[in-house]
Amino acid sequence: MSQSLRPYLQAVRSSLTAALCLSNFASQTAERHNVPEIEAQTSPEVLLTPLTIARNENERVLIEPSINSIRISIRIKQADEIEHILVHKFTRFLTQRAESFFILRRKPIKGYDISFLITNFHTEEMLKHKLVDFIIQFMEEVDKEISEMKLFLNARARFVAESFLTPVSLICPQTRPNSQVDVCLSLTKRTRRINKQSICAASSWLVEGHDSDALRLAFGEHKRIMITLSSRLLLWLLQVVILSNCRRLTIASKGNTYPEFEKHTRELTIRFLSLA
Amino acid sequence: MLLLDYQNVLIESVLTERFSGAPPVTIDQTVSDFDGVTFHISTLDTKTKIMVSIQIRCYADLVRYGAEQVLKREYGPYVVAPEPGYDFSVVVDLEDLPAEKEARDELVKKISLLKRNAMAAPFEQAYEEHYHLREEASKFTSEEAPQGVREGGEVKAIQYREEEAIYVKASHDRVTVIFSTIFREETDRVFGKVFIQEFVDARRRAIQNAPQVLFRNDPPLELQGVPGVKNTGTGEIGYVTFVLFPRHLTPQRMLDVISHIQTFRDYFHYHIKASKAYIHSRMRRRTADFLQVLRRARPDSEEKERKTASGRTFKVGS
Repeated sequence: MSQSLRPYLQAVRSSLTAALCLSNFASQTAERHNVPEIEAQTSPEVLLTPLTIARNENERVLIEPSINSIRISIRIKQADEIEHILVHKFTRFLTQRAESFFILRRKPIKGYDISFLITNFHTEEMLKHKLVDFIIQFMEEVDKEISEMKLFLNARARFVAESFLTPVSLICPQTRPNSQVDVCLSLTKRTRRINKQSICAASSWLVEGHDSDALRLAFGEHKRIMITLSSRLLLWLLQVVILSNCRRLTIASKGNTYPEFEKHTRELTIRFLSLA
Repeated sequence: MLLLDYQNVLIESVLTERFSGAPPVTIDQTVSDFDGVTFHISTLDTKTKIMVSIQIRCYADLVRYGAEQVLKREYGPYVVAPEPGYDFSVVVDLEDLPAEKEARDELVKKISLLKRNAMAAPFEQAYEEHYHLREEASKFTSEEAPQGVREGGEVKAIQYREEEAIYVKASHDRVTVIFSTIFREETDRVFGKVFIQEFVDARRRAIQNAPQVLFRNDPPLELQGVPGVKNTGTGEIGYVTFVLFPRHLTPQRMLDVISHIQTFRDYFHYHIKASKAYIHSRMRRRTADFLQVLRRARPDSEEKERKTASGRTFKVGS
C-alpha cells in the first residue's frame, strides 16, 4: 500500500465508523412512512453535515450522514481514457447487480462513480464494523483491479501486435499435431520481467478462452517454469520466447498425459498470474 | 487461435472428407466467412460433382484489379460459369481427382483459399506495379528518381465491407496498404487505440524489420481525392497504414505477406472483442469476491444450546 493511501483509507474508516450511528426514525412529513432521510431530504433538521475526504483531485469520498441513513459516494481514480472506460464498465457491472449487494445504490451521485446507501435496517441486521471493512476493502481493490486490467490490456496488445508483425517464416517449426510436449523455460534474471508480462497476457488469454488445450504451469526452484501443452500452444509459446529474447529454451517430449490437467489448469495459472 | 487462418476451415473439412474416398453424398451447404463473404458448396446433377461458389461484396472492385486472371491462374481447369447469385464458381469432379494424396490435399487447400485468392488480386497488381516503377526508377540517380518517376500509381480501393475499405498504392520504393476501420462504440475505440499503439511501437521496440504502421483518425494524404473517403471528424473511423518496404516485396515473400495482411482487420477486431470478454469475466470474478466480503457482515444466526439446571438440553423454537 502506498504511503498516501494508508492515511486516506484510515480517515475514511474512522469517519465512516463515526457516521454509522443510525437509529430508526419515522418520516416527519408523511405519516406511517419510514424512508432514508438522506434520500428524501424533506426535513433539514435530521441531516448532518456532509463530509468530503479527498486524496487528490481525482480520488475522493463523500459521506452524507443523516439520522437514519448514510450515503457514501466514491470517486475512483481515472488517469486516462482507458481507466475511464474500465471504471465505467466496472461500476456499471456492479450497479446492475445492486440487488445482491443490499447497500449499493443503483445510481451514483453526480460527480462520483459509485454510491452506497446504508440505512438503519442494514446496520440492525449486519455488523457495523464489517460493513466499514467492506467499503474500505472495496476502495482498495477497485484501484488494484482497474490498474491490473489496464496492464493486462497493454500486455495483450503488445503481444498481439508483435506476433502479427513477426515475419511468418520465423514463427514456428512444424510439430506433430496433438503431441504433448513439456517445455521448460529457464528465465534469467534480466529477462524475467519481460517474459512475465508477455506470458502473463498470453496465459490469461489461454485460461479464459481455451482451457481444453491443456496448459499446466508448475513451479520449481531456480525460477523455472514448467509448461505442458499441446503442439498448437507450443507454437504460441515459441512466439513468446522469440519475442522476449529468452535466453534458453529446452524442449523435451514426453509420452505422459496428465489426467489432473483440467482440474489444476485454472488454479495454477491464477497462481502464476498473481506471482507475476 | 492467436493468428487467424487464411483458409476457410469449414470448406477445408468438407472437402477433405469428400476427397478421402468416402461414398459420394449430396451436399448443399452455405458457409460464411469474414467480411460478409458467403460460400455455397453443393453437388450438381451427379453426386460426384462438387461446386463451390463464392459471393464477395466487392467483387466488381476486384475484377477491375484483375481478380479474374488471378483466379483463372489458380483454379484453371476447375473454373465454370458462376452460379446465379454468386460471383465465382469452381467445380471439382470426384472421379477425376489427382491420384496422389499430396496433390489432393493441395487442391483442398487451394479451394479453401478461395476468398484469399480473390482478395489477393489488387495486392498482386500493386506488387507488379512496384516492380515496374522500381525498374523505371533505377534508370535515374537517387536524387533524380522522385522527379523522374511519377510518385506512385493510382490508389486501388476495395470496399470490402459496408463502411470499411482497403486502399493499396504502389510506388517505386514501397507499397502502402491502408485499412479504414470503424469502431462502433466508445470501448472499442479506446481498446483499439491501445492495440494500434502497440502496432505502431512494435517496430521501434522489438521487430526492426516489420512494416511501418501508422494510425490516424482523418484520412491520410495518400487518400486525398479518392472517391468514397469521408472525413467524419468524429474519430469513429480509424485509418491504419502499413508501409511495405522492398524487403517485404520480394517475389518469394509475396504469397505470405498478401495472405497475412488480409487478415489484419479481422485479427485486430477479434482481439479487441476477446479482451473485452476477458475483462468481463474478470469483473464477474471480482464481483463475486466483493459479495463474499459483504456476506461476512451478516452475523450467523447461531443456534445456542441451552441447558437446564439438571444438564438436559432443549432447543428454543423460533
